[in-house]
Amino acid sequence: MSKKRNESKRDKGISLLVSIVLVFFVLGIIVFSVSHKIMAEMAASATQNLNESLDLIKCTIEAILNKEAEYQRLMAQGIAAMESPEEYVLNYKKSETMVKLGLIRSGETAGVCSTGEAFTEEEMDFSAGGMIDGLPVSQSYLNYMGTWAYCIKCPVIRDGQEIATLYVEYIYDTFDKSLPEGFYNQQAMLYIMDAETERFVLKPKGMGERSAGHLNLTDFYRANDIQEEGLREEVEDCLKHNKNIMFYHDIRNKDALNYMWSVNGGTIYLIGYVPIEAIQQEGRTVNQNIFIVVFVMLTAFILCCILYYLNQRQKIRLRREREEEREISNRRLAEALQAAQIASNSKTMFLSNMSHDIRTPMNAVLGFTTLLARDAENSEKVRKYTKKIMASGQHLLSLINDILDVSKIESGKVVLNVEEFTLNDLVSSVDAIIRPMAEARSQKFSVEVTGIKHEFLLGDETRINQILINLLSNAVKYTPEGGSIWFRIIGLKQRSNQFEHIRIEVQDNGYGMTKAYLETIFDAFTRAENSTTNKVQGTGLGMAITKNIIELMGGTIDVFSEVDQGSLFRVELEFRIPEGQADRQFWAQMGISRMLVMDTDEETCGNIKTLMGDVGVEADLAHNMEEALSLLEKSADSYQVALLGGSIVETGAAQAVNQIRERIGETVPVLVLSDHGKAGDVDLDQTENAGVLIKPFFASAFKEKILEMRAEPESGGEFAAEPGQTLAGLHFLAAEDNEINAEILREILAYENAGCEIVENGQLAVERFERAKEDEFDAILMDVQMPVMNGYDATRAIRALEREDARTIPIIAMTANAFAEDEKEALDAGMDVHLAKPIDIELLKQVIRQYTKHTDE
Amino acid sequence: MCRKSGFKKWGLLCLAGITAFSISACGGTDGSDNKLIVVEDKKDREVSLFSPMEKTEANVENVARSAADKTIMLAEEKLGVSVGYVTYTAEDYQDKTYDEVTLDRARNDMDDIYLLNPDTLRALGEEGKLQDLSGLDCTKNLRDVVKAANMVDGKLVAIPQEVVAYGLFINKDMFDKYQLTLPETPEDFLECCRVFKENGVETPVGANRWWLETFVLAQAYADLYNGGNTEAEIAALNTGESKYSEYMRSGFEFLQELIDKGYVDAEKALVSEAIEGEGADFLAQKTPIVMAYWGAANTETAYGKTDFEMQVIGFPSSRGQMPVMPMTGFGVGTNVAHGEDALAVLDIMLSDEALQIYAETNRVISPSKNVEVECVDPLKPLNDRIQENVYVLGSNAGMDVEQWGNTCLIVRELLGGATVDECMAMFDRLQEEALQKNK
Repeated sequence: MSKKRNESKRDKGISLLVSIVLVFFVLGIIVFSVSHKIMAEMAASATQNLNESLDLIKCTIEAILNKEAEYQRLMAQGIAAMESPEEYVLNYKKSETMVKLGLIRSGETAGVCSTGEAFTEEEMDFSAGGMIDGLPVSQSYLNYMGTWAYCIKCPVIRDGQEIATLYVEYIYDTFDKSLPEGFYNQQAMLYIMDAETERFVLKPKGMGERSAGHLNLTDFYRANDIQEEGLREEVEDCLKHNKNIMFYHDIRNKDALNYMWSVNGGTIYLIGYVPIEAIQQEGRTVNQNIFIVVFVMLTAFILCCILYYLNQRQKIRLRREREEEREISNRRLAEALQAAQIASNSKTMFLSNMSHDIRTPMNAVLGFTTLLARDAENSEKVRKYTKKIMASGQHLLSLINDILDVSKIESGKVVLNVEEFTLNDLVSSVDAIIRPMAEARSQKFSVEVTGIKHEFLLGDETRINQILINLLSNAVKYTPEGGSIWFRIIGLKQRSNQFEHIRIEVQDNGYGMTKAYLETIFDAFTRAENSTTNKVQGTGLGMAITKNIIELMGGTIDVFSEVDQGSLFRVELEFRIPEGQADRQFWAQMGISRMLVMDTDEETCGNIKTLMGDVGVEADLAHNMEEALSLLEKSADSYQVALLGGSIVETGAAQAVNQIRERIGETVPVLVLSDHGKAGDVDLDQTENAGVLIKPFFASAFKEKILEMRAEPESGGEFAAEPGQTLAGLHFLAAEDNEINAEILREILAYENAGCEIVENGQLAVERFERAKEDEFDAILMDVQMPVMNGYDATRAIRALEREDARTIPIIAMTANAFAEDEKEALDAGMDVHLAKPIDIELLKQVIRQYTKHTDE
Repeated sequence: MCRKSGFKKWGLLCLAGITAFSISACGGTDGSDNKLIVVEDKKDREVSLFSPMEKTEANVENVARSAADKTIMLAEEKLGVSVGYVTYTAEDYQDKTYDEVTLDRARNDMDDIYLLNPDTLRALGEEGKLQDLSGLDCTKNLRDVVKAANMVDGKLVAIPQEVVAYGLFINKDMFDKYQLTLPETPEDFLECCRVFKENGVETPVGANRWWLETFVLAQAYADLYNGGNTEAEIAALNTGESKYSEYMRSGFEFLQELIDKGYVDAEKALVSEAIEGEGADFLAQKTPIVMAYWGAANTETAYGKTDFEMQVIGFPSSRGQMPVMPMTGFGVGTNVAHGEDALAVLDIMLSDEALQIYAETNRVISPSKNVEVECVDPLKPLNDRIQENVYVLGSNAGMDVEQWGNTCLIVRELLGGATVDECMAMFDRLQEEALQKNK
């Protein structure tokens, strides 16, 4: 369709172009014809003008000649009347016109001359028969003055008898004064030629180019390259018959009109040429003006065309842009529609899966609850059923947590909580979670840390932990029993001194994944494998969450997998290195600046040296016992600590430690670096100041071990559970609008022999507390989302009461709002601690004991 | 965006151009209101100049003429006068010669300025028909040799625009073809001619009726002008102690030998005009040697453009190759109508500025000691000799017997069949007449 439209446009354009060209062509022909006609008319007019000019010159010369002849007759009459004509001639002084007189008596051959010499007719040639006004005229000749002259002879008649002949010599120079100065603006050339001798006898002033001079007609032909025989013959013929002629011939590469004009019956000729451009100047000027007008009009027309074209082009461009915008908009709409449909389908599929996944544990909960009701008397079955209900509940909870995480990440609400952490803590915590899971499935779990330069880093430890747990728990899940899982942390080359570049690898030799599944493994609402066919329970959202968090941290994740061969997840992240290193101070305070490291593995030695160097401790390396002992013999006193690793664990750590101890002070700690599984094999009970350090090596772990060995270990952490701890005797105020939750809480606390008074909203809680006696309640358990007044406002109101215990009574948030922001908001409102629902009774007990103890204190 | 503003700019420029063009096209003098047209009579100061006219070739620029034209235009521009040309050239040998016509015209006061050959300037100077030019400013810059050669009866009667040097124009390719070295002496020259003749060159030396005297003069006066005793020897000639014929004999005998051996076609030379007669054969490489003046090597109407390598050398003499330098020059008539303007025009035409233009255009030796122009390659051998001050003057006003014209006429006699002795007798007669006149 579009093609057809384009072709149609092109056809129209061609037609228009052809029409324009046709109009121009016709216009051109008209202009050319008009111009040609003007030129032709002007040329004819110019030729006519030249004709008239030459006639004028001719008439002028003939008039002069006739006057000369007439005057000579009068002179002859005068002489005839004189007694001695010879005397008159001899006394004659030459004039400008008549330069010489001669007189020959009739019947004689010689006479007298005005120059005083004897005069004969022999010098002159009258044979051509030329006449002027009836008097014979001679051919031209070079006279005694060195100029061209002619002679007219006239009979001297006295009493009717010719007594003598008077000869008068005239010079051609005389004509010059009577002829116009210049001819066609001095561009035309004019000569006077003696017809008989064809000699050029005069070139009037201002006629033609002055550098051009010609002797005679032959020279004129040669100099002007008039060599065409036919033309020359025609010219000769015209000259012979006294005709006036004009002919066109180039003169010095210019078009010229040549002329030969007969004067005085052909005795002399006017010869010359005029350039065509000189005689057609007027015509050329007219044509030039016509062309100027045509040019201006043409240019104006072309300009108009250009402007029209530009305008059209702009319109077309705008239209095209609009069309393109429309197309883009349509495409986007279509894409959005498609995306929406896909999202809808995905979510439908997801909801279907979720429905299934939720229904499955829910089925277990409800099913076992039914069984529980039926077998309530059988305590063994009750415990069995409650255990399964608990497991199903836990699964449901993790399912809900994952959904919430995905939702939150996708809505961009996740904010990284960047704090200082150590890789040691990270690895330890992950190891503590994963290793039992792996051991439960008889899997080998290996942790390797290499190339790390800084173990103290800045980052969101919780999220990193989440990533690692996700990857490793998947590895455990998707690896059959007896398989192997490798967890590697590799320090890469730093791109900047301020950042540690780390690669995390999680590898297994499990089931692996198909290529098709790999393509969608990180998609949030898409599951390649329908969970109904998947033996492994899971939300399928873990990888999407992992990838999103990694990208949020500016990192990358790649996955390599083959079915039945296993999978490898490779994560690359960069963590800022904190500016101050507090641990340097620790090692300095402990007086440890140098240590001995003996390990058969060179890489491990290198890692230790790097990490200890980072905290200011120099490590001397030995790769076997001999080297270690040798180093000790050289300078045993310079080592403040010794670390032994590698094969000594297998060959007998105690023996090795003893060997070292023999050469080193009693107070110097000696540690054995052991793999996790082999730590139990190391027996150092009999050795003073010795201990075992579990791989992988971290300076912070090393520090803790040193501290542990130097001093009594501190009592447990903040929330270390006290065995046998109960809530017996405590009395709580709980704000909970949900009756079931209220019931559960009441029952749990009753089970713990604790009292509880439940109100339905925050307002009631505030009022109840206001009314309460001092020490009536040990703590307030506050739900957040409640009618009338929410938990935050209620807490603020309680804290604002003018009661002494209003500021001290522990307020514990117990809410389904489980995000970090929720926790922060709770603390900001004045609550002491935040516990997420569902309630973990053990945790609740720990927290309550903690806060009630604090307040007791 | 940028392109758009470019279109607009060009569009505006075009519109402005068209407007300006249209307005200028519509402009012009509007004489519709002026009914009376007054034409002023032109009263130019006019000076006439008589000079020979070289026959021009079709579509060929006459460089020599152009050079003179430029200096004349300079004078016209500076003085506000116009110079009218009057020219003459003999149609053939039967016509009056240019020199004869010059004498006639000068004697009848026909023109204001004349371009004179050595013999005519001497004759007219002696007749008192030429003004003394020594008062002109331009004379201060003239070379001494130029002044000396144009002094007649103590008056500087003519000044040239170029120092004319004559030499032999050689077809070097033909000399190389026959492995001939360029001749230094008359003997060398005869040997070259012999070889050419034997190899089928009909007439080895092309000649005309005007310039053969250069051969004679070169041999006659090679020692006189280059022997270091020039003034004394000229004085001896003027007093009759020594004879011109004694100097001239060797040259005439040499010329006679050339004619006798068929190296010069005497009959043809006698009726040939300069260059017209022998030029065509030389250019066609039928004749390997001709004689001509310096400027002929620069002008396309003469030998300025040859199909072979041409060199110009001096005439053979006992002192090696010898350039012959006759002095021509412009003279001003005594009773002319525009004498003052003529002198002013001449002063400009011969000023250093004009001579520089002339020399650069025509590539000739300038009479002004302040003007130096490098010559074309073919002229270098001749120029080298002149720069070494080795040359013979073709005319010398210091000699009582005019040399250039008389020797030319006597050489014609030799060409016409007179014997060397008869020719020498003519010189003796001329010397006797001069002695008588001086008495």
